[in-house]
Amino acid sequence: MKTLSKTADAELTVGGFSWRSADLFKKINVYWLLSCASPLILFFAWYTACRLQLFSAQILVPPEKVWLSFLNLLQTGELYLHLKDSLLRLFSGFTVGAAAAIAFGIVYATNRHVKDYFSLIFNVLYQIPIFVLIPIFILIFGIGETFKILLIIKACFFPVALATIDAVEGVPKQYMELSQIYQLKLKNRVKYIILPSVIPPLISSLRIALGRAWLILVAVELLAAGTGIGQMMELGRQILRLDVVMVGVFITGMIGFILDKILRQVEQRFVQYKHQ
Amino acid sequence: MSTLIKFTKHFISPMRSVRSWVIPLLLLALWQYSSSQNAGHAYAFVPLQNVYNAFIELLKTGELLVNTWGSLKKALLGFIFGGAAGLALGAFMAYSKIANALISPIFNAIRQVPLLGLTPLIALWLGNGESAKIFIIALASFYPLVINTYQGLSHHESKYQELANMYQFSGWREFRRIRLPQALPYILTGINLAVPFTWITTTASELLFNAGAGLGGVMMKAEANAAMDILLVCALTVTLLGIVMTALVRALSTHLLRWRPRHAA
Repeated sequence: MKTLSKTADAELTVGGFSWRSADLFKKINVYWLLSCASPLILFFAWYTACRLQLFSAQILVPPEKVWLSFLNLLQTGELYLHLKDSLLRLFSGFTVGAAAAIAFGIVYATNRHVKDYFSLIFNVLYQIPIFVLIPIFILIFGIGETFKILLIIKACFFPVALATIDAVEGVPKQYMELSQIYQLKLKNRVKYIILPSVIPPLISSLRIALGRAWLILVAVELLAAGTGIGQMMELGRQILRLDVVMVGVFITGMIGFILDKILRQVEQRFVQYKHQ
Repeated sequence: MSTLIKFTKHFISPMRSVRSWVIPLLLLALWQYSSSQNAGHAYAFVPLQNVYNAFIELLKTGELLVNTWGSLKKALLGFIFGGAAGLALGAFMAYSKIANALISPIFNAIRQVPLLGLTPLIALWLGNGESAKIFIIALASFYPLVINTYQGLSHHESKYQELANMYQFSGWREFRRIRLPQALPYILTGINLAVPFTWITTTASELLFNAGAGLGGVMMKAEANAAMDILLVCALTVTLLGIVMTALVRALSTHLLRWRPRHAA
């Protein structure tokens, strides 16, 4: 009986908000309507400002022109090409950086010698701002793919490694001792004690790392790239195509939002896992 | 996150251990060795004494000071404008529910765009002079302060609110005595986040539009001339200034929050 009610509770709070109809009605009030209306008001203001030609076409392009240029970029396959290259860079750098960081973090937190030898260099490298590395890496590696992916790896490595170290060091000692007393098998020890306390902070750090990596990738592509969504915007700026730049801004925003949202969902799931 | 940048824990204590110096010194030796090895990579791996000479040279000509000051000035202006605007908007949203309902969806939508992804748009609007850079830097301070000011001022404990009602506090007095002390830790968290972010955005904006005085501009020029020694001097300056700023703001916020019980900070 008890377990049944527990799962029911969990279902109701998936994603941090509940779906009971009563709550849904409670949410619909004046403020809720206003917050739905405000983007529409902004959009309408944008549209009318263009209609009345309050600003020159170089400052403000009408929304329909942005939409048409989005469709055009979609049809010619240009957008797909840029996005594919950007996302490929993002995910390859993220995967390598995060995997290396988790491995390093676990070894660092559990092995006294590794910690002794690496603590200073790790903290010094962590302090170097990533943008400072851009010109240095360009000089060493050239403006190919290597330097971009290395920057993404650097951007992902440190937040994930720090979170892993903190998480592994934060595994409750008394539970570990208890598991030794009860002579729990390693598999069960990992499953019931280590994973529940390590996974939630790890997922949060992955989310932060991915957001940061996206910010840096867009900046790097603005600066030096042949393809990619940042390069699309930079070219648009150079030929004064504000509509292309706007499409780029929308797309980068959407991608940032979607990546964050997905990992937030994962995070929510694992927070529940922790409570169980 | 607050445990991550504890200066003593991460710098002073590892420095005391002899073992922690082994790898950094090995890497430096390797760097020095490869600089003397083949001419092909000599431009990338410059001997360490060249870096020192470049530092002295840049210091003598005043180039380092002028450009450091250029960067710091932009960062400071951006922080003041962006921070003040962030405080004002955050407070406005916390006090007016209507404003909050109207502004927060737009604010959150704009915030999704990676900050530096806005540079082409801002460059088209404001050109690529100082004002465009300061605008982007100001945004870097603006975002964290809006969020944290709003959170700080809108989160209040009802017991203090009841007390204020009982004593019939005026609006100003209620703000000064109850809301502000409750919001201060949040606002300081916002400033703690804003300062390093503002500083890296300053460097990034200078790399993206390299005109005018600034360390980023010098770095781009050095990169074009393949002058690794100058690059490393600038990189070290930016890094050290960042560490100093972060530490100063941290010290300031612990000083301002010294009235609070230790565990909450």
